Amino acid sequence: MAASIEPLCVHGCRRFVTLSKTFPSFLLRFSRTASHLARHKYDVIVVGGGHAGTEAAAAAARVGAETLLVTQKIHTIGALSCNPSLGGVGKGHLVKEVDALDGLCGRAGDWAGIHFSILNRRKGPAVWGPRAQLDRELYRQFIQSELLSTPRLTVLEGSVEELLLTEPDPEEPGHHRVTGIRLANGSQPVSASSVVLTTGTFLSGSLFMGQTTSPGGRIGDAPSSAGLSHTLRERLGLRVGRLRTGTPPRIVKDSVDFSLASLHAPDKQPTPFSFLNTHTRCKPEEQLPCYLTHTTPGVEKVVRESLHLNCHIQQDTKGPRYCPSIESRVLRFPGRRHQVWLEPEGLTSDLLYPQGLSMTMPPDVQLCLIREIPPLHRAEIHTPGYGVQYDFVCPTQLSPALQVKSTQGLFLAGQINGTTGYEEAAAQGLWAGVNAGRWALSMPPVALSRTESYIGVLIDDLVSRGVTEPYRMFTSRAEFRTSLRPDNADLRLTLKGFEEVGCVSSLRYQEAVRVRDSLQDALAALQSLVLPTSSWKKILGDVGISETKNSILNGMDLLQYNNVSFEMLASAFPERFSPHLEFSQRLEIEAIYRPHCDLQRKEMERIQREESLSLPPDMDYLSLPVSLSQEVREILDRVRPSTVSLSTKELNLVFSQSNQQHQAQQLLW
Amino acid sequence: MLPSISAGIWRGAQHILRTSRVAPRRTGLCTCAGIPGELCDAGTIFALSSGHGRCGVAVVRVSGPASTTALRCMAGLTHSLLTPRTALLRSITDPQSKEVLDRGLVLWFPGPHSFTGEDSAEFHIHGGPAVITAVLQALGSLPGMRPAEAGEFTRRAFHAGKLGLTEVEGLGDLIHAETEAQRRQALRQMCGDLGRLYQDWTSRLKRCLAHVEAFIDFSEDELIEDGVLNQVDTSVCDLQAEMERHLKDERRGERLRSGVQVVIAGATNAGKSSLLNTLCQRPAAIVSPIAGTTRDVVETALDIGGFPAVLSDTAGLRDSPDLVEREGVRRARERCMCVCVCRLCYVMHLFKSDLLFLSSFPSERCLLVLNKTDLVSEEWRQQLETELRRSSGLPPVCLISCQTNEGLQDFLAALHSSIKALCGDPLSGAPSLTQARHRAHLQQCVAALSQYHRYRDTDLALAAEGVRLALTSLGRITGRVGAEEILDIIFKDFCIGK
Repeated sequence: MAASIEPLCVHGCRRFVTLSKTFPSFLLRFSRTASHLARHKYDVIVVGGGHAGTEAAAAAARVGAETLLVTQKIHTIGALSCNPSLGGVGKGHLVKEVDALDGLCGRAGDWAGIHFSILNRRKGPAVWGPRAQLDRELYRQFIQSELLSTPRLTVLEGSVEELLLTEPDPEEPGHHRVTGIRLANGSQPVSASSVVLTTGTFLSGSLFMGQTTSPGGRIGDAPSSAGLSHTLRERLGLRVGRLRTGTPPRIVKDSVDFSLASLHAPDKQPTPFSFLNTHTRCKPEEQLPCYLTHTTPGVEKVVRESLHLNCHIQQDTKGPRYCPSIESRVLRFPGRRHQVWLEPEGLTSDLLYPQGLSMTMPPDVQLCLIREIPPLHRAEIHTPGYGVQYDFVCPTQLSPALQVKSTQGLFLAGQINGTTGYEEAAAQGLWAGVNAGRWALSMPPVALSRTESYIGVLIDDLVSRGVTEPYRMFTSRAEFRTSLRPDNADLRLTLKGFEEVGCVSSLRYQEAVRVRDSLQDALAALQSLVLPTSSWKKILGDVGISETKNSILNGMDLLQYNNVSFEMLASAFPERFSPHLEFSQRLEIEAIYRPHCDLQRKEMERIQREESLSLPPDMDYLSLPVSLSQEVREILDRVRPSTVSLSTKELNLVFSQSNQQHQAQQLLW
Repeated sequence: MLPSISAGIWRGAQHILRTSRVAPRRTGLCTCAGIPGELCDAGTIFALSSGHGRCGVAVVRVSGPASTTALRCMAGLTHSLLTPRTALLRSITDPQSKEVLDRGLVLWFPGPHSFTGEDSAEFHIHGGPAVITAVLQALGSLPGMRPAEAGEFTRRAFHAGKLGLTEVEGLGDLIHAETEAQRRQALRQMCGDLGRLYQDWTSRLKRCLAHVEAFIDFSEDELIEDGVLNQVDTSVCDLQAEMERHLKDERRGERLRSGVQVVIAGATNAGKSSLLNTLCQRPAAIVSPIAGTTRDVVETALDIGGFPAVLSDTAGLRDSPDLVEREGVRRARERCMCVCVCRLCYVMHLFKSDLLFLSSFPSERCLLVLNKTDLVSEEWRQQLETELRRSSGLPPVCLISCQTNEGLQDFLAALHSSIKALCGDPLSGAPSLTQARHRAHLQQCVAALSQYHRYRDTDLALAAEGVRLALTSLGRITGRVGAEEILDIIFKDFCIGK
C-alpha cells in the first residue's frame, strides 16, 4: 500500500504525509495519559473524537488556541461508525465547504476514497453531489496523522466525568461559565476557557438488538459517563430530546453471490473533494465497484413476523425519515422493492456494507432476512446490525456560533445537536471549534449566513427551528442553491475564512486568491470578446446559436450554450483564452449561473441585513406601541428573538402551522 | 385601547439596532452588477398611503428608481421641470390613453433625502374611489412599477437607515410589516372562491416542487423514476394555462367589496342580528329567540361616520350537530380571521374562551359589545363593570341594549373611531390595490414557470429554481411556503432511504 503512494502536490504544497505501516507506533508518541499532560490549562477542550470532534479540535488549533482533544480511545479517532462513504447530494456541498475553511474531511476523503463518483451529473452543476466510498482504515489513519501533527493540539485518552462551571462573566449574556472538565479516573481537573462537546450518540446512549438493550453509543465502546448528561440536564437546565438511529449488519464479502447483483462502476476519472488536490490517492483503475440489488417480498415477511422480537422498532422515538431502517421502510411502504447497495469497506477489507439494510432484530432473524435477498442467499454476517437511542440537546438553545446561550464557553456540535451524518457533524464541529477558539482568545463570535453557505443553512435551521427528527442536509433546504455551489465554495468561504475568521492557512488562502484573480481575468476576457452572431457561427460552426438579426454576443453568452465549451473558445482564440484552460469547467458553470445569481443578489442582501439587525434581549413586546396582535406579542415575548430575521422566522413557523390547522379544519367540514 | 407606553422602556432603545456583524463580503465571481430582479426585493413600488375610505385628499406614494418616470409620464414633469420637494399643481394623465384622470399636487423627493432613501414621488389627488383606482392602475401599467407589499415602504426606509433608529415606532413598524401585516394579508386571501383558487394552485405547485426536489436530492440513491418529472411537466403546463386564462379574464373573478369589514361575532342568541338591524335601521336579518337562527353570513353595506363599511352578521359560535349550522359557524370563524373589527358577546356569558379568541386580534381592532343590559339588575351591572376594569388586555367594552337602544350612541362612537383608525392604516390594503397586487404576482408566477420548461432538459437546478420562484410569487398572495413543507410532501410521496 505505502509503496504506491506519492505525495500529491498542488503548487508546491505538500498535503499528504506518506504513512508507513508502522503508523500505530507513530501514534503512541503523541497519546498521553492525564497524569502526563504537559499542562493543566488549555484554551479549548474538545470532548469526542468523531467527525465533529476532530474538525473542532483542528479548527480551534488553527485559529490559534492551545487545544486538548479528549476521547475514550485514541485508536478510534476518525472512525467511520456507520457507512463507509463521504459526500453525496447536499452532503458533498458541506464537504467542499469544510475543505474551503481548511477542515480535514475533504482531504481525508481524497486520501481514503476507493470509489469516486459525482452524483446528479445530468442535473446541473449546482446540485452535483461529489461522493466517495472510503477505506475505513485509510480514513482513520489520515485523520489521526493530521491531528497528531497539528501544532497546539494535544490528544488525551480518557472519559469526561463532568463539566466545571462557575459564575458568568457579567459583561456577556449567560447564567453560567464553563471553566474546564473533570476526568473519570479521578485525576485533577483540566481547565479551559471553552469546552466543545461532540459526544455523538453517547449521551445517555442505549444500544438495541432484538429484545436486548445495553448502555452505549457504539458497539465495542464503553458507554460515556452519566455525569455529563446529568450536568447538562440538571445543572444547566438544558432541554433534551431523544432520537434513534441504526446501522446494518456487516457481511462477509466471500459469501456474496455478485452475479445476482448489478455492478455500479465509479467515475472513470475520480474528482477530488479538496480544492488543494488535483487528484486522489487512489488511481482511477484501482477503484472498487459497488453493487445494487433489491429487497424481495420475503424480506417484508421476515420483518412482519419478527416485530414482537424487535423492541427498538416498537418504540416511538423519532428516527430519520430519509435513512429508515428496513423495518420502517417495509412497514411504511409495503409491497414495494427497496434498493440495497452493497458497498466495499476498504481495499483490503473482507467485509461489505449493505446500505439500506439498517436493522435491529435478533441476529438469527437478521441472517434469515438478508438471505431473502438474491445475492445474499448464502451470505454470512460478520457483525449484526443494531439500533442506538440517544439524547440530544434541543439546538434552539444555541447561538449561531453554536455556543449554549446560557453557558459562556460551552459549545456543542454534531449528533448532540440532533443532526445525522458525518458531513453535518464535521461542518458543525469546524464552526464550533472556530468559535470556541475565538472565545478563548477573547475574539468576538463569527456567524455564517445562509446566503453564503450550506454550513450557514445548517446552523441557522438548527438554532432557529430546532429539530423533530435527525437533521440531514438536502439541497432543497438552501434558498440560494444556484449560488451556493460545490464548485465555488472556495471563493465563498476560503477568503472570508482567512481574512475574517482566521481558520485558514495562508497557503490555502494564497491559492484561493490566485484562483479568484485568474477567474476574474478569464471572465473579463470572455466579456470583452464581443462578436455578431454570424461571426460566431463562422468560427465555431453549428452549435445551435439561434439566428436573430443584428444580435451580438460576448464570450460569456456563448458559454451558456450547451454545445459550446471553453476549450472550443480557447482553440479559436488561443492567445486570449488558453492561459485560462485550467479553469474551463468553472468558467462554463459560472456562465450558466451568473444571470440567476445576479437576480438572487438583492434578496440575499436583504436577508443578510436582517440577520445582522439585532433586537435587544430585554425588549418589551407586550407594550410595543404598534399594531400587533396579542398572539404575536406573546410569541415574541416568549421566544425573544435575537435578530429581526429570527423574529420573522419564528412567527412564520408558528403561523404556517396554524394556517395548516386552519386548512385542515376546513377539510374536515 | 392602546397599552400604556412606559417611557423607560424606550429610552434604552436608542441602541436597539446595531449592526452586529460586518456585512459579509461578496467576493469573487458572485459579486455581480445589478440587474433589476422583478422577483426580488427591488423595483419601484407604489401604494395609497393615506389609507382607503372616503377622504378629501388621497396620497399615492411612489418609491424607487422609476419614480421620475412616473412623474414624467403621468404629470408631464420632464427633467428640467423637476424641482425637489416642491408641490406643483399638475394634470395627472393616463400614460397610455393620455386621458386626464385628475388634477392634483405632485411632489418629487430625490434620494437619499426621502422617506425611503430612494427617489420618491407623491401624488396628492382627490379622494374618490374612482380617481384613486384609476391613478393606481395607471401607475401599475408603467414598466418597472409594482404595487407595494405590506409594510414595504417601512422596510425600505428602515434598510436605508431612514427610520430613526432611536424611534421605537420604526422598529415596531418593521416587526409589524414583517409579521402581522403579511399574515393578515395572507389570511384575507384565504376566503372566498378566489382564495380557494389560489390555494389550489399553491398546493399543486408545492407538489410539483416537491417532486422536482425529490428527483434532485434522492433519485441517485433511490427508486425515483424519470416519470416523476413527466408528471411535473404536465402539471406545470396546466397551471401556466390556467393562470394565463385567469389573467386574461376581464371579469377578474369575484368582486371584492370595498369598505372596512365589520364582523359581528359571538355566542348564539347574544343579539348579533338585532344589532345589525339596529345599525342599518331595517330588518336586514331574521331575528328570533331561537338560538342558531342566523346560519349564513348576512352582509350589509353601511356608511359609518363617512367611512364605507361592510357589516357582516354571522352564525353564533357554538358546536352544533346540525350540518348547515356547522358550516355557518365555520364561515363565521373564517370571516373573523379575515378582518376582525367588532365582536359581540352576550352579557351573561363572558367565557374565558371568548377572551382567548379575542386576544388573538389586535385590541384596537376589536370591540367587546355586551348586549341585553335591559335584562340585568343594576347591582349585577356594577359588579360586571368592576370585573371588567380588573381584567387587563381587553378591547374597549360597550354595554348596550338593542331593545331599548341604551348605550348605542357610545357604541357608534367607539365603532367610528375604530374604523377611522383602520382606514388611516395604509397596511390594510384597498381592494383595488389588492387586485393589482394579485395580478402582478400571478404574472411573475407564470413567467417563472416558463423558466422550468426552458431548463428542464439542461439544468434541473435552474428548472427547479423556476418552480421555486413561481411558488414564492404565489406565496406573496397565499402565505410563504417553507422548505420543511416541501420535505413533508417528499417523504409522504416517496420512500426515501439512503
